[in-house]
Amino acid sequence: MLPAGYRQIDHTADLALELWAPNEQELLVVGAFAVTDIMTDGATVSTDAIRPVRIEAVDAEDRLVQWLNEIIVAAVVDGFLVGDAWVELRNNSLIAELRGEHNGWSRIVTELKSATYHDLVVDCGDLDVRARVVIDV
Amino acid sequence: MTIKFERLDDYRYRIPATKKMRVPGLIYASKRMLDEIRKDESPRQVANVAHLPGILGHSIAMPDIHWGYGFPIGGVAAFDADQGVLSPGGVGYDINCGVRLLASALTRDDVADCLADLSLALHRAIPSGVGSRSHRRLTNRELERVLHTGARWAVTQGYGRENDLTVIEEGGCMDGADSTAVSERAKDRGRPQLGSLGSGNHFCELGYVAEIYNRRIADAFGLREGQVTIMIHSGSRGLGYQVCDESLRTMIRASQKYGISLPDRQLCAAPLASAEAEVYFAAMAAAINFAFANRQMMTHFVRQAMAQFFATTDSKLGLGLVYDVCHNIAKWETHTVDGEERRVCVHRKGATRAFGPGHPEVPELYREVGQPVLVPGDMGRYSFVLAGTETAMRETFGSSCHGAGRKLSRRQAKKAARGRPIFRELQARGVFVRSDSKATVAEELPEAYKDVADVVGVMHNAGVARKVAKLVPLAVVKG
Repeated sequence: MLPAGYRQIDHTADLALELWAPNEQELLVVGAFAVTDIMTDGATVSTDAIRPVRIEAVDAEDRLVQWLNEIIVAAVVDGFLVGDAWVELRNNSLIAELRGEHNGWSRIVTELKSATYHDLVVDCGDLDVRARVVIDV
Repeated sequence: MTIKFERLDDYRYRIPATKKMRVPGLIYASKRMLDEIRKDESPRQVANVAHLPGILGHSIAMPDIHWGYGFPIGGVAAFDADQGVLSPGGVGYDINCGVRLLASALTRDDVADCLADLSLALHRAIPSGVGSRSHRRLTNRELERVLHTGARWAVTQGYGRENDLTVIEEGGCMDGADSTAVSERAKDRGRPQLGSLGSGNHFCELGYVAEIYNRRIADAFGLREGQVTIMIHSGSRGLGYQVCDESLRTMIRASQKYGISLPDRQLCAAPLASAEAEVYFAAMAAAINFAFANRQMMTHFVRQAMAQFFATTDSKLGLGLVYDVCHNIAKWETHTVDGEERRVCVHRKGATRAFGPGHPEVPELYREVGQPVLVPGDMGRYSFVLAGTETAMRETFGSSCHGAGRKLSRRQAKKAARGRPIFRELQARGVFVRSDSKATVAEELPEAYKDVADVVGVMHNAGVARKVAKLVPLAVVKG
């Protein structure tokens, strides 16, 4: 298994994601890729444009949900698709720079409503970080 | 925690209150359906909801229950005004997702030979699909009016008829809405989408009345055999999703602040009397109004498209609104609890209000027979019109089922559809399906859903809602 990645898990009404990475920052980047892949059916995304993100969260689980929702909203409201991301964590703050492309609305083939807090797990182990998150479709 | 069930009768199963559950759970289902229901996490979610402070009676689930997030889909819970809570997870992301039914003066024979073209005309008329956008660009001021006045705004702008408003839940305008409680981001997400269907399980369906079960009530609803009908299923689009998402974050903090213990974070809530609940209620009510206006605009588009297609006026085609019901909502209602009339906050998530005969909130037109309960099925089989009953008032806080309920996940459905000519299969059954997305149609495969006849059968046999009419699809526009 690759050190960082994601897979979809079945959930009756929605879709769930399992994410893993060596640390939380990389897990968040994997999450951004996963959500973008689902929305665009795996389209290649350029990294010409930059979009800053700042999130205040109560914990790692809240941070993951808020982060994924930033990616979803960036796509559906502004047509900004994420091709890469840089993430820094400072206490409860997440500071990030999304790199991607603007005006990507037409490339969105699956509409995601939101990442949810239901059945949410972020497990920070000694060797890696694993997460499970349900997305409302 | 293992979920235990006690059989009360052929259609009612109780989950006894154990550990921190404040009330028992109550699931309406047949034995066969219960065997399916217990395969997923939804019974646990029924039990989880019973943990919330101030819950009254039972944590209730309808026969179309399936695994949601926090609350199950098909869940109903009512909360005491003083001790109870308001939970965005009990309403869901698609606030006021709902369905409305139009009845035409056309018969099945009138449309039989033109369904291919008529379905295309409807598809062209209604913005649908992923990221679908409105024909109309709203100014900030217009959006504010939408959020405060709902379907009323749409009618004043020429989208529909004045008497449509008399047959919409809440008259198409929910009290308590405040546009300032809706974030700029939510407004940005919703602004371009008003008057669009969206994707997923949303649809506009042209069908006909295939069977009447209760002629007296069908007459009151203006339904007769062979009559062509239109059903529109959509909600508050991105605006509602964003309101829910942002409110959850507030409510997670509120749950900690007020010491509300949660078995699932998605159940986060705040006391009904708190500032957090007030703000959420105001934003939710605004999203509810957005959804009412959304369905109202699409009703107008359907009437326009039909009138143009048949080269006549929309009023000559009938196309009167029968009713419009909400599926995802929390609202203040008066119910009898322990023999006493009380004002309670009822959460319905994937459930329909089903007020019985004589209730003052049922439109005068239907007050004698109970409100129409519209229950869409899948796009290949049938849908039902039911009527609310006194039993619903006694047992379910005046609530009934809302649809078929999914049986296959979206991925399983896509897998089942792989390699199959789904559009042609449905056409062979007499249903013309129009969609920009093959993937959506695959996800919405008829066999992905429970048989809605089983679902409404349980409601009818349990006395919660009366079967009135069966509608069979002829043409479906999918998002």
